[in-house]
Amino acid sequence: MDRSHLAKWLKSPAKMANKYSLHAVYFCTGCGIIEIPPVITARWDAERFGIKAVATPRQGNLFMITGYVSLKTLKAIIRTYEQMPDPKYTVAFGSCPINGGMYWDSYNTIKHLDKYIPVDGWIAGCMPRPEAVFIGVTHLWTLIDKGKADGYIRYQKKYAAYRRNQEMLFGDLGWPPLYPSDIPAEEAGA
Amino acid sequence: MLPTTILIVAFASAGLVYLAGKVHARLRNALAVLSSLVLVGLIGLGYGAWGELVYVPDFLGLELVLRLNLLAWFFAITVAAVVSLSTIFSLSYMRRKESANFHYSATLAVEGAMLGIVFAGDLLSFFIFWEIMSWSAYLLISCNRGRALEAGLKYIIMSLVGSCGMLIGLLAVYTGLGVLRIPLVAEGMQAASPGFVLLVLLTFGLGFGIKSAMVPLHTWLPDAHSEAASPFSAVLSGVLIKMGIYGFVLLMYVVVGLKLLFGVGAAWLTFRHVLCWLGAITVVIPTFIAVLQTDAKRLLAWSSIGQIGYIILGLSFGTSLAVAGAIFHALNHALCKSLLFLAVGAVEHNTGGVRDLNKLGGLAKRMPVTFACALLAGLGLIGIPLTSGFVPKWLIYRSLIEDGYPFLALASLIGTWGAILYVYKLLHNIFLGQLPEKHREVRRAPLSMRIPILLLGLGILVFGVVPGIPLRVVQAIGETFGFARLKVTLWGLASEAGALNVLNICLAIVIAFVVVFLIMRLGAKGPQVSQEDSYAAGSAVPVGRYHYTVDFFGPLSRMIAPYLKDRVDEFYSWVGARARDVFSVTRRMYTGYAGTYVLYIISFLALLIFLQSVWKVW
Amino acid sequence: MVSKILQIVLSPAIALVIGMLLLGLSRKVIARIHRRYGPPIYQPVIDVVRMMSQASISHGALFELGVVLALAGSIVTVLFIPLGGTSAAAGSHPLAHRLLCPLSSSGGLLVVIYLMLFGPVSIALGAGASENPNASIGVSRNMLLALAYEVPFLLVILAVMSHYGTVSLADIVSRQQQSGWGVLTVPLSTVAAFLILPAMLGIRPFDLAGAPQEIASGPLAEYGGRYLALLTIQNGIQLFVVIALFVNLFLGGGVNVVTFLLKVFGVFLAAELVSAVLPRVRIENALKFCWTWPTGLALAQMIITVVSK
Repeated sequence: MDRSHLAKWLKSPAKMANKYSLHAVYFCTGCGIIEIPPVITARWDAERFGIKAVATPRQGNLFMITGYVSLKTLKAIIRTYEQMPDPKYTVAFGSCPINGGMYWDSYNTIKHLDKYIPVDGWIAGCMPRPEAVFIGVTHLWTLIDKGKADGYIRYQKKYAAYRRNQEMLFGDLGWPPLYPSDIPAEEAGA
Repeated sequence: MLPTTILIVAFASAGLVYLAGKVHARLRNALAVLSSLVLVGLIGLGYGAWGELVYVPDFLGLELVLRLNLLAWFFAITVAAVVSLSTIFSLSYMRRKESANFHYSATLAVEGAMLGIVFAGDLLSFFIFWEIMSWSAYLLISCNRGRALEAGLKYIIMSLVGSCGMLIGLLAVYTGLGVLRIPLVAEGMQAASPGFVLLVLLTFGLGFGIKSAMVPLHTWLPDAHSEAASPFSAVLSGVLIKMGIYGFVLLMYVVVGLKLLFGVGAAWLTFRHVLCWLGAITVVIPTFIAVLQTDAKRLLAWSSIGQIGYIILGLSFGTSLAVAGAIFHALNHALCKSLLFLAVGAVEHNTGGVRDLNKLGGLAKRMPVTFACALLAGLGLIGIPLTSGFVPKWLIYRSLIEDGYPFLALASLIGTWGAILYVYKLLHNIFLGQLPEKHREVRRAPLSMRIPILLLGLGILVFGVVPGIPLRVVQAIGETFGFARLKVTLWGLASEAGALNVLNICLAIVIAFVVVFLIMRLGAKGPQVSQEDSYAAGSAVPVGRYHYTVDFFGPLSRMIAPYLKDRVDEFYSWVGARARDVFSVTRRMYTGYAGTYVLYIISFLALLIFLQSVWKVW
Repeated sequence: MVSKILQIVLSPAIALVIGMLLLGLSRKVIARIHRRYGPPIYQPVIDVVRMMSQASISHGALFELGVVLALAGSIVTVLFIPLGGTSAAAGSHPLAHRLLCPLSSSGGLLVVIYLMLFGPVSIALGAGASENPNASIGVSRNMLLALAYEVPFLLVILAVMSHYGTVSLADIVSRQQQSGWGVLTVPLSTVAAFLILPAMLGIRPFDLAGAPQEIASGPLAEYGGRYLALLTIQNGIQLFVVIALFVNLFLGGGVNVVTFLLKVFGVFLAAELVSAVLPRVRIENALKFCWTWPTGLALAQMIITVVSK
């Protein structure tokens, strides 16, 4: 952890600050949320790394998808993700967001979350223990350092594709496109 | 001379406007606006002039006198300014209303009567103009029909009770002192007995207390001000109740005078103490009743009662700072309250008559100018620095604290906090939050509504940043009453009695604002979003219904509502109901049958003959 | 003139640094009470830098104006509060320097009370412009909480002002330095003020205005990015202002800035220790509490002061 390297702070303060002040939107997605309270309470104190839970997406920059994603939850996840300010990072916990995990043959769960919102990193497990969560966070720091945690940039660049996937599932989402100019004219009308 | 010209112009234009209305609406509108502006100009010319003029040499053996001095000028210019702006506002508000003709001419008549009150140089003229003002205001309040009729009736009955009190006081002065001209009455009072002075104070005080809506004489105000048409509500709250204040000032400091005033009454139950405490109660209780209201105009009406409490508290406290603060607050409240009533009137006009705070919202986007000025007026009522409300409230608090009356200071400070609550409730429920679907197409306030609102807002801002302008006039008025001179600078006070420098505060706020704004620009800029993109726990926001207005201060309302029922109003209604019961019994005397009346006459004659023959009474 | 400008720059700078330190210290202290490590003391600075780099949405001009005006108001309030030092009348102490209070002669304690309103009222306006009912509920709770603590707070300052016979904060401080701290001369008021200190600071048990779990952070529901950064700074400065006022009224200010800041940290620590172990109360309970015990004590002190004058 290079939080005390003053030279790095002076060179790129925004990057260092994004690393050591990850405020997670407290969105309880699936069964994995049971592993988050131990992470943020006294035994495995995540606050010493600067990780805090916040109530609204407007204040957060880390989105943890903790477990399987059902259709109903996906709509809320998309809305919450779009309301977060850039730069933002998404971390998926467990095997369900990767390939459906335990619910691989269910009609109601999403098998590949990456089609609908961009995911920066995955943490394997079902559910990952707090130690695994911390290792995942350090990997996220490395990605941020290298500039590879660019899910939000990907979302903006390929928004048309993401929106198309979302609308294929839900039909009318209930809110207008986040980046309207990126959708070609014939798609916006459809 | 100037006062006579002014009064003639006012009353003549009232009549001419009515006649012009029969000819053409545009002519009437132009004439009304022109005459109100001419009146402002004429009064402005009278700044600094002094003089008396006998305008009716022989009225039942008395002379009727008009006079002009700084106190009269101060109140006259406030009256003229507020009425002229209200008339300009009525151009749009009263368009296509049947009572428009009457409204314009009666407003000018009320203005003429108010100017007559402030220019009156003897008590009889004062009383005559007072009565003209009372009944023309009554007619104008009842103009709206419906609930306004009841409201007007309550107003006129209470006003008549006050006027009877004043008449008794007038007669007492005439029989006791033999003169009615105010300077001569003042001289005569110095030699009068304390009991006589107390009688005069109480009888005139009853009339003035009812007109200025002091607790417990306030019950007419909430109904009357909320049911009148909005431009006239602005005049009512802005300047009509200040006539009661002018009456108090005249009574306490010109007629009775400083030396006598503090000695009236027994040991600690002096007139001054009682009035101070009535003022303190008037500040606290109506302010919190205002917090509970859900009708915008009723909230403003209760707020008026609360702010008048400040003025009465300052006047009755009687130090130079307190009186200066009270008179300045009269000006400040006139500006702020008339602006708020005009703003609520503009909203009511544009939304088709909606005044219910539970049904409005988000109008700041559709009516930005109205919102900005209403915000200024609200902050002026609270007394935030940079508005014209800061200095008068500072003066009153300072005076109360330094002279060792912390409980009165506590009451006034709590009143300020209540004011913050209801001002925010009003602004939030009308202008902030989400815009309901049905008000999505509300247009901006028309130009003739925006102009008075902007001018009043400008006045609040200017008098807030440069309080020396009104402070100089107020201070000079205080000197005529015999108070010590205050060193007034352009930006505040520099005397040993209290130091206040508004310029430092203003500059500090402006510089801090600029610095913080520049710091904010350093941060990353995001897009601007509409009201549909609001946090709703991951779901889409229901269109225009994601708004919190109902029961806005719920927990507080539930706690204090049981203690804040208007028991005085209930008491008066109870008295009225019992009187009605008595009258419904005594009315049986009128049988409608001529034979009973003949029987009454003959029995009464028989009684008289019996008395004469037995006891030889005559 | 130069020293005045130096003071005007130094006061807000001290408030800014100490405010952020207080925010970080609160998280560290609570963490240690929870028997965990907690973030570093400079964590709020990291948070502010990160928030400034985020591009968060805006709901319009009033939304942004609320934030700017709130922070500006808080900074201006600091200029009116003495931050340590002695005035000439209080005699000389070996470590003393001149009173650090740039605008001490422009109106006194009454101006400070009014300027302390700038923050909450501006945030209320900005939150209203957020077009979110969570924000409106938060503002409603915030105003009711302010009403709750204002009644005893006004009684407390009126007792202090009556006791010392002056409205000027600088005079109150210098008189305390000469003849005994407020704790000794108006003890009941001190206790009452300490009881409502958590309400004025907005920490547990009275942090219901910005309750993340109940109303999605209340007034801050729609604020993110640079606006949230400025509001965090404003929160820190507001904490500092309230505690500085407490120290000036009851602990005799400080002979120099260092002792003053030590007293500030002491009082803040005491308040945080209370806050760390208590849960959040509801607004009805907050109103009832603030209007019974603190008001009773402050009223008793005021009666004693008035009677003994």
